[in-house]
Amino acid sequence: MLARVSAAVWLAAACGAAAQPAGTPPPAFAPPNLGASGVRAMAANCASCHGTDGRAAPGSAVASLAGRPRGEVAQAMVLFREGRKPATVMHQIAKGFNDDEIDAMDAWFSRQKRREDPAR
Amino acid sequence: MNRRDFLKGAGASTALASIPGCGGIPAIVGGPRRRVAVVGGGYGGATAARYLKLLDASVEVVLIEPNEAFVSCPLSNLVLGGFRSMAEITTPYGGLIEHGVHVVRDTATAIDVDGKQVRLANGNPVHFDRVILSPGIDFMWEALPALSDEQAQWRVPHAWKAGPQTVTLRRQLEAMRDGGVFAISIPEAPYRCPPGPYERACLAAAYFKAFKPRSKVLILDANEDVTSKGPLFKKAWAELYAGMIEYRPNSKAIDVDVRNNVLKLEFGDEKADVLNVLPPMKAGRIVEPFITANKRWCEVDWLTYESRAAKGVHILGDSLQIAPLMPKSATMANGHGKTCAAAVVSLLRGEVPNPSPTLVNTCYSMVSERMAVHVASVHKYDLSAHTMRPVPGAGGVSASMNEAEGTYALNWARNIWADALG
Repeated sequence: MLARVSAAVWLAAACGAAAQPAGTPPPAFAPPNLGASGVRAMAANCASCHGTDGRAAPGSAVASLAGRPRGEVAQAMVLFREGRKPATVMHQIAKGFNDDEIDAMDAWFSRQKRREDPAR
Repeated sequence: MNRRDFLKGAGASTALASIPGCGGIPAIVGGPRRRVAVVGGGYGGATAARYLKLLDASVEVVLIEPNEAFVSCPLSNLVLGGFRSMAEITTPYGGLIEHGVHVVRDTATAIDVDGKQVRLANGNPVHFDRVILSPGIDFMWEALPALSDEQAQWRVPHAWKAGPQTVTLRRQLEAMRDGGVFAISIPEAPYRCPPGPYERACLAAAYFKAFKPRSKVLILDANEDVTSKGPLFKKAWAELYAGMIEYRPNSKAIDVDVRNNVLKLEFGDEKADVLNVLPPMKAGRIVEPFITANKRWCEVDWLTYESRAAKGVHILGDSLQIAPLMPKSATMANGHGKTCAAAVVSLLRGEVPNPSPTLVNTCYSMVSERMAVHVASVHKYDLSAHTMRPVPGAGGVSASMNEAEGTYALNWARNIWADALG
């Protein structure tokens, strides 16, 4: 029985929207942790595509985020979120973050060193 | 072994804790230096080890992993299709060693919770202050009795743990006659990598289309419909592999006639030239004493990944009882690893772990050598439900299959391997 419920849940995921089973109360999310370690942890989610600390592999088709001028990452995220910048997946991910979170991650990435040795 | 026996056994072995060092690992003789043992060097465990060192270089990290190198399950279907080599999905553990992780090539046999040590098949036990277990999945062979035999498992491979099984299944596909049938049997959800079997069907069909065009892929799915990215996969099957892929829902396997390559279903039998059976899955063996959900999965505190069954024991990845709409994916295991590593560093320092973790899942599936589709979601901590829940309105799937996402999928692999393995 449990397995069937889970399958239904995945089917909902496959349909695109983050649909919840009927009768589920709306989420009560913890307030964002905008302290130093909280922002670092939030930004670490970007690493699976954009590289550790935002340093993408050399020649990566996915943008490096480390060391970008303050405001650049935030501007892109807001445009993605509002559907004003073409995207394959980022318009969907950007909708998961509010302005404060986006600004904090932007500040964090702007302070990270760019990849120095392009041969590595 | 039940939980009570396990705990009884634990007391007897604490004497071993006094044996200094093991396998080149410096002995801990008290003092402020803390040691975290990580069991399993897959997406979850390798990431946890890497991030423990990134977040606090003074923490001693011991990674216990039996395999010589990391072999990625994501992209392994490209190997089955003949589009990539095993070498291209294999990464050595040297990067983690460079980052200061002690890598012990051994198999963990038990966790002594009270004595705080990991027992190994060959080496001396590894003491820990905290332990992170990321063993991935194990198979419930009892659901397919004939496959309990190890030789049978190589004749009818699962190839659901990338490595020699992947090579075996690839060789079977290569040896198959043109006009043959390749059948994939999918268990009821939840299982590791929900879209993986449907991706496998695509890439096997891509191989057949080029080299054995009269051949067929038969998907026998225990579920009532495709469990992930359904409309996208169905479109790919119809448009890229017309007439080559047959999908049959509600087709649950109950056993295998190994000699005759016949899958026994709840209703009827199905013979195939190459038979690929994914058995029902559960949490990996080492976490068996900590299974609390449905006799299959482990429940954790989503802020720390500490087991609901044992203090000081953290569990990650595919072994977990999933949170709502959270797939058993590599990206999720990578996210678990980071969140857990940060929480463990906080706990070792006596600080409060992050009360508001975020997880982002991006999961790509190749539908051909070059085209991919994705599903994405953003998960945050729900204070009332004490679990991770998807952020409403965020996430979604690809608008259509396309080559740009194929490129991004390959980039994802390069970057996540570097993120997890250094």
